[in-house]
Amino acid sequence: MIVELKAILTPYTEQAEALENLGEETDFIKDLQINSANLVDVVLDVEEKFGIEIDNDSMAKMLTVKAAMEIVETKLAESGR
Amino acid sequence: MQKVVGNDVVDLQLARSESNWQRSGYLQKTCTTEEQRMILTANEPNIMFWLLWTMKESAYKVLNRITGKREYNPSGLVCSRLDLKETEANATVTSNTLVFFVNTEISEQRIYSIAAQTPLELEELTSYHFPNTPDYMQKFALATPGFSLEKEISGLPVIVELHTGRKLAASVSHHGRYLAITYSGSLLLTD
Repeated sequence: MIVELKAILTPYTEQAEALENLGEETDFIKDLQINSANLVDVVLDVEEKFGIEIDNDSMAKMLTVKAAMEIVETKLAESGR
Repeated sequence: MQKVVGNDVVDLQLARSESNWQRSGYLQKTCTTEEQRMILTANEPNIMFWLLWTMKESAYKVLNRITGKREYNPSGLVCSRLDLKETEANATVTSNTLVFFVNTEISEQRIYSIAAQTPLELEELTSYHFPNTPDYMQKFALATPGFSLEKEISGLPVIVELHTGRKLAASVSHHGRYLAITYSGSLLLTD
């Protein structure tokens, strides 16, 4: 899943090194310096890629790779996949 | 109560190339139904979107400094009582039970909002605008003799009066060509 996330994050960051070393602890704002308007794009891209809907409460927590992966897994499980 | 301040600047030129709020689902994720209506019926929807966006972002900075919580929920920050004039606007932004007061400057190039917890604190805010370059702290020091812009251990900016050590609550925002610093003219730490 981290490969798909990396592809989604790539157009929104200029931090090549942080992107190269992308791991669970990578923070979208602190490490990748994604601006807050583009964080919405990340959420929408994740929804499209995985065919899920991310509610506002989940989106509020989606600030790291780890949180994003947990949210995607939860939503996929909920939809029986 | 300790004073906290927030600000947010958007370079409209950069926003046009890096953000597309018109994409499907974007408004629903960021705005309430009423805010979406305000944007879609405005004379200049693009200006209205970024106006509301910077209001939410500046209020979020105040909220974040009060609660210490990082949460990304733009539609949970609700703009209301918007009073919009040609080059300025003011409104309140609420998050659950908390209310913030915001003022915005609007130009063709830039939208800039500042936020505080009371109308009086909002009036006391002073803003400086600089080009968005890495030496902005030095530029601020040159522009304001006797004061320096520093970062606390928490990473939050603070303005220090050099001769007394007095600290003033501050907020820094940068986007594209622009960087803005706002601070409260009143004491952060008393006695």
